[in-house]
Formats: sequence, C-alpha cells, structure tokens
Amino acid sequence: MRIILSEDNDILRKSLSFFLESKGFTVDQFSDGKDALDAIEANTYDLILTDINMPGISGMEITQYVRQSMGSEIPIIIFTSSGIEQTELDSFDIGANEFIAKPISPAVLLVRINKLLKIRV
Amino acid sequence: MNTKEKPVPHNELERLAALKRYNILDTLPEHAFDDATKLVSYICGVPIAHISFIDETRQWFKSEIGVGVSEVPREISFCQYTIMDSKMVEIPDTFLNEQFKDDPNVTGGFKVRFYAGVPLTTPDGYNIGSLCAVDHVTKELNENQRNALSIVAKHVINQLELRTKNIELDVQKKIAERAVLAKDSFLANMSHEIRTPLNAIIGFTDLLAQTKLDAVQRDYIDSVQIAGENLLLIINDILDLSKIESGNLTIEEHSFNLKKTLKHVYNLLKVKVPADVEFNLFLDADMPEIVIGDSGRLNQILVNLIGNALKFTEEGEVTVSVKKVDETADYNSLRFSIKDTGTGIAEEKLTTIFERFTQAEESTTRKFGGTGLGLNIVKQLVELHNAKINVKSKLGRGSEFSFVINYKKADDTVIETEKLAEEHVSRLKILLCEDNVLNQKLAKSVIENFGFEVDIAENGQVGIDLLLKNEYDLILMDLQMPVKDGYQTTQYIRNEMNLNIPIIAMTAHSLVGEQNRCYDTGMNGYVPKPFKQQVLLEAIKSVMSKDVVNVTKRKIDFSYLNEMALGNPNFIQEMINLFIEKIPNQVIQLRQAVNKNDNDTVKKLAHNMKSSLDIFMLKDLTNSLSIIEEEAELEKLSIETKEKMDSLSIEIAEVVKTLKEL
Repeated sequence: MRIILSEDNDILRKSLSFFLESKGFTVDQFSDGKDALDAIEANTYDLILTDINMPGISGMEITQYVRQSMGSEIPIIIFTSSGIEQTELDSFDIGANEFIAKPISPAVLLVRINKLLKIRV
Repeated sequence: MNTKEKPVPHNELERLAALKRYNILDTLPEHAFDDATKLVSYICGVPIAHISFIDETRQWFKSEIGVGVSEVPREISFCQYTIMDSKMVEIPDTFLNEQFKDDPNVTGGFKVRFYAGVPLTTPDGYNIGSLCAVDHVTKELNENQRNALSIVAKHVINQLELRTKNIELDVQKKIAERAVLAKDSFLANMSHEIRTPLNAIIGFTDLLAQTKLDAVQRDYIDSVQIAGENLLLIINDILDLSKIESGNLTIEEHSFNLKKTLKHVYNLLKVKVPADVEFNLFLDADMPEIVIGDSGRLNQILVNLIGNALKFTEEGEVTVSVKKVDETADYNSLRFSIKDTGTGIAEEKLTTIFERFTQAEESTTRKFGGTGLGLNIVKQLVELHNAKINVKSKLGRGSEFSFVINYKKADDTVIETEKLAEEHVSRLKILLCEDNVLNQKLAKSVIENFGFEVDIAENGQVGIDLLLKNEYDLILMDLQMPVKDGYQTTQYIRNEMNLNIPIIAMTAHSLVGEQNRCYDTGMNGYVPKPFKQQVLLEAIKSVMSKDVVNVTKRKIDFSYLNEMALGNPNFIQEMINLFIEKIPNQVIQLRQAVNKNDNDTVKKLAHNMKSSLDIFMLKDLTNSLSIIEEEAELEKLSIETKEKMDSLSIEIAEVVKTLKEL
C-alpha cells in the first residue's frame, strides 16, 4: 500500500513515516503542499495523509483539488490541531474521509487507515 | 431735580474695607441667609424682606423676598440712610415722612409705604448692610417684632463671621496638606539618600569584623555594627512611614506558610529573651498552615510587637498565640495576641502610645531606646490589613496587644515551592554589574568571602560583553547604571541572548512595585541595599537551587516517541537530535515575530512547533503555543503574549538542555 504524507513538521513527518513504514506501508513524504499535490497528480496512491495547515498549498486545498479537479475518490485523512469543531466539519464538507486531531495517536491512525483501505477493497 | 445730598457714613473707607473682608458680595444664595429673610417676612407679616450689603455704588441683595432684582443703585436705596444709624429705622407711613414722601420708590418703583431696616453691624462697629422689612401698606411694628428683627440682624452677622472663618480654615487645611505631602516626599528621598552610604558603612564594618582584631578593636567594631544597624532600622521605619502616608505601601497577596513564618519570627527573637523570661509560641491546632496574604508585613508587625514585649519584660513570660476565631468559605479569621508580664502601660497613656514619637514614659527612650515609630507603623500596617489593633494593659502587671486578620484561604493544590537542594552551592562564578566603585569593592570582598569568583562590569553593556566572552553561573545586577541599566541589560540577556542564567537585582530603591518589575523583566531574585551578607548568600542559594529544581522538575515523557519509533533507540535518538537542532532556532524566530507583531509568521511557526513539542508530550508548552497561535489568529498579540513567550523560551531551553544531557 502506498501512502502520501504531507506534513511540514520534520519530526512528526519523519516519525509518522517511520511508524507507517514499520507497519508495512510505502510512504512518500512531503513538507510542502505544492510538492505533495504534484506527486499526487503524477503517481497513484492508495491514501492521502495531510496536515490541514501547510505552507504552499493547505490540506484543505489539496483535498478540494483531489475531489473536484481530479475527480478522485482516494481516501483522505486530514490532521487538524485547531480543536475547533468548525474546521473539522469543514474538512468533511470538502470531501475528507476522516480527520485526526493532533497530537496524533499512531495506534488510532493505523486503525483509521486500515478501516478506510478495507472499505475500498 | 433730586438734589438731596447723598448720605455717606463718616467712616466710609473703613466701612468698605470691613465689607470687603467678608467676601460676601456677588456670592451665590445660601440657605442660612434665605432662612433669615423668611423669618423677617414672617415676624413682620410683610411681603418684602431682604438682607443686603452696600458698597460704593450699589445695594446688593444677598437674600430677598418680593424684591426681584439682585442689586439697585445705592442712591435710590432706603438703606443708605439705615446704615447711617446705629439702631433700627422704622417708617410706618412713607407718605407722612418728609424725607421719603417724594422718593421715586414711594411714588412709584417698589411702592414702599412701610419700611423697617436694621443696620448689619460688624463686631468692630461698621454698618456694612441692612436687614429690612417692607410693605405696600402702612404698618406699625410692636416691641416684640422690633426686638426680633434686631436679633435676626445679629444672627446674620454671626453667620457672616462663621462663613469667613470656615473659608480661612479651608485655606489653612490645604496649606497643611501640601506641607505634609512635601514632608513625606522629603523623608522618602532623604532616607533613600542616607541608605546608600550606610550600605557601605555597614558592609565594610561587617568585613572589618571578620579580620583579625584585638579585644579593644573588637569591642569598637561591635559598637559600630550595633549603631549602624540601629540607624538602618530607624531609616527603614521612616521610609515605611512615608510610604504608608503617601499610600505607596500596599498589602501583597501571596500564599505563604503561616506556621513557618511564625516559627521564623519566634526563632529570630528567641535570642533576645532575657534570662528570667519564658518565651512561648502557642498555635491553635486548627490554624491553617498555608494562607494568602502578606507574610513580610505580618513578620514586621510581629517582630515589632514581640520585640517591645521582650524589651519591657524583666521577668515572667511573653506569650505569642494565634487562634482561628472565624471561618467563611473564602476566609480564615485569625487572632494574633502578644501578651507579656512586663512594665505595662498606664491607662491614660493607652490612647497615645500609637502616636508617633510618643513612648509611654519620657524616660523610655533613654532606658530602652527605639524610635517611637514602631507602634505607629504597627497600627498602620494592621489597619492596611483592614484590621484594628487592640491593647489591654495594667501598669506593673503587663500588656496584651491583639488583632484579627482575615486571610484568604489558599488553594489546597498550592504546593509550597521548597528548596529541594539546600546546600547546592559549590564554587560559583559570578558576574557583578555595578557602577559605584565603593559598592563594587564591598560586593567583591563579600562574594570572595563566600568563596566565589567574581568579575565586575561597571555598566550593563560591559556586563553583556563579559557574558559573551566568559561563562558565569549567576549575575548580580544593580538597577541604576549608566549606558545600560539593570532592566535593559536583563531584557537584552533574556530576549536577545536567550540566556536563562539566574539574575539577582541589587537596589537601594526598595520602592513599591520595583520588586515586581524586576521579576517581570526576567530577574530571579531581589536583594535590597544595604545588603546583609547572609541575605545575599540566601538569595544566591535560592536562585541556584531553583535552577537545579527547574532542570530536574521536568521529566520528559518518551512514551509517545517510543510508540512511533516502535522502540527503535536509533530512531528515537535521531528525532531527539532533530528537535535539539531545530527548536532553539524556531524559538528565536517566533520570539522575533511576536515582538514584531507579525501575526502570520507567529501562526505558522507556533503551529509547526506544536507538533514538535507533542512528540515529547510537553502538553503545557503546547498549550502555551496554542494560546499564542490563537492570539495571532485574532491579531491580538499583547504584552502578555510577549511575557508568555519569554517564559516559554526559558522552558523550552530547559527541555533542550535536558535532552542534550541524556
């Protein structure tokens, strides 16, 4: 399974990649939203993980682009840290399948990923 | 046509001067005068009555009924004749009066038919005005009415006298108040100026006492020390008083251990107890241990009262007791009592002992010393606590001073910050920023006596230069220095250099709020000048042990990182290194952005840094960042944000330090 991870905090991104790779996923990591979006257009992924706040292009914009411009139904999980209900609801509105509030529990993330990927299977 | 000569009293000039003294002309109506006018109208049963004063050109009505104007020209007034007389002028029918029958105010104008006027005569004999009754019909007053008018006229003059005296009193009062204010600020300035050289005297005497001396020299030095300390006490008393008077002394609120404070006072004074006196401290079993209030001021009150009790008791006992007398949801009412079996105070002296510079006996000063200010300060300090000091005493039997203070209850969760590492002071390297050469020399000797190394900077800028070159454990910082003062230097060290080296302020100011300002700027301790060696050492120990406590306080929780890394130690170390490498720079950038009110950058940086802090489960720090992020989002970065940022960077620096040491 190939996952694209878009997160600008190095430590978190590297940790999540390390964790997911240890769980058998292939992870392409990006710290910039624009680079991530280019990769999504160029490659085929099974799942998108993106932080809501990103330099360049935000997680919301990535989601919107994937759903509307690319017409893709690829599962998307958005990381939020606002703690504000509205942003979380907004992320569903534009087509995200899940949101996970930071700090992200690796165990919870894994369960959500598996759930989404099974649905697809 | 009216060629009648104008009547002018023979003493007109003096009369006018007398009138002027009362400052009554053209003043606003006053009840006292209006009442008198009404009384005249009732007594005589007339529709027109007035109280008026006559100056060079006019008759001015202070109070009137039925006249309707505030003044008339002097030459058309009836009263210009009345003030020529010493007694009442009564004209029952103006038509029958040769002098008035053709007067324009009789034939027309006010249509005066009846007139009765009593001159208003000052105590020194000048007729300055008149009190009149007027009617449009003929009338004759009876004897009672005439007497009544004369009495009312006398009252009007009394009222005038009273009014003038009150105005004079007011002026005097204002002068007196200004004088008190001037005196207080003089006292405050003087005692400050005296403390600075006294600092040097006491300090060098301390040092001299530590050298090798023969018995006679030792005796002389002891005397100098005692005299110096007494002088300091007096000056502190005066400074306190002037602070109280000018309203600059406030009762602080912090949680403190009441039991410890009391025991501290007890131990402090135990050494002064005469051989035949038993000194007791009784604490109520349900007295709260920790309360919120001003421990320093309580200390001062108790030391004063207990010190007095010990001074005046030759045998018997001195008992200090504290008892809880009442309790509400928020407050504990505690009664403090200081009871002795000493000389006691005569009943007639009980009321005056709290006044300044009064002591129960004239001989007291000679026999017992003291400034005569202590009890006055105690009284005012107790009153600042919204309490009242009580005293009971019998001559020869002893005295009891007591007061009840309401202390706010301390939160149960408030854990006292105790010094964990008591003797954790090894050989320290200290940087002293101080411009006064005498004080430099003094502090240097004292610090070297402690066994520490010291470098001296004559101003803040030099201090910063030294700090860049060398490594120090601690900075002693004078507040007033040329080039860069203590505040500016501390700000630079904290904000630009990002150092959390302990800084202790040293100042002769001891002004209200200054201590807080020091802490707000980022200093860790405060020592007032003239400093006692012991106090300085305690302050050094305290900030150094706090430093130790801070470092060990935060146990970093690696469980989250461990979960991510699935226990891989190499990866964990890699992430720790990444954190150590990245976060200090981000802190600096964030601090700059906060200072520049760059909301966008603050938002982005804070958001990013939160994820890093999350990895090490530093929840409190993440929360602080969330708040800063939110404030940036709302574009509401404030002074508090900057302060939060300051403490956050100190905390993060500690974390980095801990991580590096792993």
